[in-house]
Amino acid sequence: MKALMSLGALIGVAGLLLLGGMVFDVVPSTTIRLVEGYMPIQMLLEVACYVIGFTGLSYMMNAMGMAIPRFWQGIGFWVFFLLYLKYRMYPPIPFSVRAMYGTVSLVAVFMWVSASEEDWQKFKQPIMNVLDAQTGGNRLLRYLYLVLLPILIGGFSFNAMMPKSEEPIELRTVHPAPPASTKVHGKTYTLQTSQNPYRVNPEGKYDQEFSNANIVEQGMGRLMKPNANPWDDKNQGYLKYVREGGEIFFQNCHFCHGDNLNGRGLHAFAFNPIPANFTDPGTIAQLQETFIFWRVSKGGIGLPNEGFPWASVMPPWEQHLTVDEIWKVVLFEYWHTGYYPRTWD
Amino acid sequence: MMDSITQKAGIIAAAAFGVVLVSSAGYSSVSAQGLPEGFKKGDLAPEPSAEMIEAGKRVYFTKCVWCHGVDGAGDGPGADRLWPRPRNFNQGTFKIRHTASGELPLFDAKKPIPGQNDLFETLTHGLPGSAMPSWEGILSEEQRLQVLSFVTTQLVKDRKFTDKQSETQTILQLADLKPKPATDESKKRGGELIVEKKCVECHGMEGRGDGNAFNLKDDWGFSIQPANWHKCWNFRGSRQDPYNVANIFRTFSTGVNGTPMPSFADNTTVDERWDIANFVSSLCERDALGNPLPIDPLTDKPKINFVIPSDLVEGEIPADIEHEAWQKAPKRLVAMGGQITHKPRNFVNRIDDIWVRSLYNDKYIVYLLEWDDRTKSVAEGKLPWAPTQVNIDVKEQDPKTGEEGSIAARQNNYTVYNDAIAIETAVKWKELPAPIKPRYLFGTNDQFPVDIVKWEADGSLRAFKGTGWDKDFEERDNYEEAMKLVKSEWKNGRWYVMIQRPVGNKKDQDYDEDTFFEVGQYIPTVFFAWDGHNGDAGRKMAVSAFYYTFMNPPVPQETYIYPVVIAVGVVLLEGWVLTRRANRKKGKTL
Repeated sequence: MKALMSLGALIGVAGLLLLGGMVFDVVPSTTIRLVEGYMPIQMLLEVACYVIGFTGLSYMMNAMGMAIPRFWQGIGFWVFFLLYLKYRMYPPIPFSVRAMYGTVSLVAVFMWVSASEEDWQKFKQPIMNVLDAQTGGNRLLRYLYLVLLPILIGGFSFNAMMPKSEEPIELRTVHPAPPASTKVHGKTYTLQTSQNPYRVNPEGKYDQEFSNANIVEQGMGRLMKPNANPWDDKNQGYLKYVREGGEIFFQNCHFCHGDNLNGRGLHAFAFNPIPANFTDPGTIAQLQETFIFWRVSKGGIGLPNEGFPWASVMPPWEQHLTVDEIWKVVLFEYWHTGYYPRTWD
Repeated sequence: MMDSITQKAGIIAAAAFGVVLVSSAGYSSVSAQGLPEGFKKGDLAPEPSAEMIEAGKRVYFTKCVWCHGVDGAGDGPGADRLWPRPRNFNQGTFKIRHTASGELPLFDAKKPIPGQNDLFETLTHGLPGSAMPSWEGILSEEQRLQVLSFVTTQLVKDRKFTDKQSETQTILQLADLKPKPATDESKKRGGELIVEKKCVECHGMEGRGDGNAFNLKDDWGFSIQPANWHKCWNFRGSRQDPYNVANIFRTFSTGVNGTPMPSFADNTTVDERWDIANFVSSLCERDALGNPLPIDPLTDKPKINFVIPSDLVEGEIPADIEHEAWQKAPKRLVAMGGQITHKPRNFVNRIDDIWVRSLYNDKYIVYLLEWDDRTKSVAEGKLPWAPTQVNIDVKEQDPKTGEEGSIAARQNNYTVYNDAIAIETAVKWKELPAPIKPRYLFGTNDQFPVDIVKWEADGSLRAFKGTGWDKDFEERDNYEEAMKLVKSEWKNGRWYVMIQRPVGNKKDQDYDEDTFFEVGQYIPTVFFAWDGHNGDAGRKMAVSAFYYTFMNPPVPQETYIYPVVIAVGVVLLEGWVLTRRANRKKGKTL
């Protein structure tokens, strides 16, 4: 038990040092990289590690006769969590979201300290002590609070009332509901029943299994399968069209969506909303191929209002590409990211 | 034209002669073994293993082939619409190195160590200002070494990285050279040296890359522009650490192979090179306090704030940039991308940011726009279209043209139009519930139009109404008389334009055409910029995202009163809590 707890304590101390380093900018917050797309689960795991670490730490302190009162444990954990959100999370999350998490965690801390009557007594004891001011130290504290609280609260309200010019927060729906059908170059495509005409095997038949077997491998680098090189001249069917789609992508799309389809192209820094990151499991991996076909054909201007059609610079590609070219680009995007398009069943 | 070329050639020849003179005058920068100061002889790295090369081929054909091409000749499908063009590996010419001018870069498939592996670092950090991204986090270290093993052995064809007969490695010992502190004295000496060493001939008097901008070609015959020292985040060799002087020191010491940028190792001492690096680095844009701009790690460019605050001034808005009011006005960097939504798309936008400041009084709002443009462009004669025309005959670059017709080959060969800038604001922004706005590109339609104020380098300042991306502009009645071009000046590679327009009010302004600038409100604002030497006209231009003009309101009196009232309230509350507690303890409750 003791060994286990000291291990926990070690984790706790290491974690605190790491976070401290990040707060004071000694350790860059990218030290342990948050993997794109897995950020939430990674964050939960990390916080769980911290909780284990703190349990161990508190146990060890207890064993060494330096127990930390419940009051300070509660406050300490809450402060830790706020700092964690502010300094560890990358990309940074806006203050409004942090405030939400902060409130939720405050409630959680309260539930923890008031789990039993005895705990609650222990928690509020220090507060009562200051109110009663039986000792000299507490009396000093009480006077300090008497003076500091009005100044702080007055200061905060002054700050809040000063006119500010912060960026207005505008929440945009990234994947709005698609229409039932879309008309491109004079032909109507029903989104539920349309298929990518280039997702075909060498015999020219629609073959999802064949194409799925030839996409890049998941894992670091997302490299092509060794025997499935789109640049092999002998290719027929799927891989041949992947290459054609790639050529179109690198003549048209990479300027914003980037050479690695991660939304960090040459012009990307200038635009808001930023270009979609196809390697993120939250974009094309979540969507049907026909949805992408609709989005690519109609572009930003074809979005419903919740998708901010006025701000998106995504071209309506029907103005630049043929239907065949659009399907090939969609095919390439799935090949290059190693995702399967979602199907209707 | 011929005259000016001979003249420039003359200057270059004279400069070269000067360099020879200076170096032969017994400069102490060359050490005993004939090596430039700060360099040491190194050994060629061993050949990478066959497995590494084979594995690298797989990486290359997944990621790199699209731009660099099947044979590594820099002619992949993406190449013709890119400037700078993707590197042609065949000649073994690489820009960013620790090795002496003309030598191959450092590459060792077994040593991914910063400072000892140039190609690995290029792959890791990318080449900002070009389409080459950073591959860190995308390819593993191993995969990066693999693909470089493939490129250096299979695609570099004219030279061999392991051939002791033909290749040498003279390596800059950057790790052993301690940077000189960037004192005023060091920067001052650097500032004198860049004139003495003729840096300003190409990089311009203020270092904005505007000197000799038309005649420079790289080894492949494509136009190349000297670096703009004020945008260090666009330095190819900035290694995602743009304010680090060591990067400048390295580039200056080794030169940039394949370009007109020579190595200055032979005619400068290490000490002088630090002075120059300190000076060049000091020119890079900084904030009001002189600190480096915060760089956004997602884009490797300065962080963007989308609110452009406008400060209130009493009386006349000053026309002098040096005036205190302008010096105190907050500066915002507006990032610009090519207009790539509708034809003709602008794949290469030569204006990639604008600095904006704004002031207002009770009648007018003034925008001060400053942007770097290496060339002052004013169209010769009359333009073949009316100022209102947007749908004009400008072609976009074809996707596949071969090298001769590529966008890189056409640089500096376009018909010259006017440099121009425009501020677009939403007209009926109050009628549209936030966040809805008229479309960024010339408005949505007749119902939700935009107000466009456009300045052109021929000195004109016009006001238009935009009603859609494919609609030509509409003239606005009488509005131009209400506006004023306070300043427009091109100096050493930078435009300074100050535009004044009425803030308007609902009563005596045409609310259907003009934007009403209301204090304390977020007014959607978009910027457009045209570089005349890039053949920019009509929709071929640079665009920004939506920004907000925000006229800072004067601080209301309540701001000073309420907090005091609240503080007093808190004191009363404290008293109440304390008495209650004291009473409870004594056994009586209130």
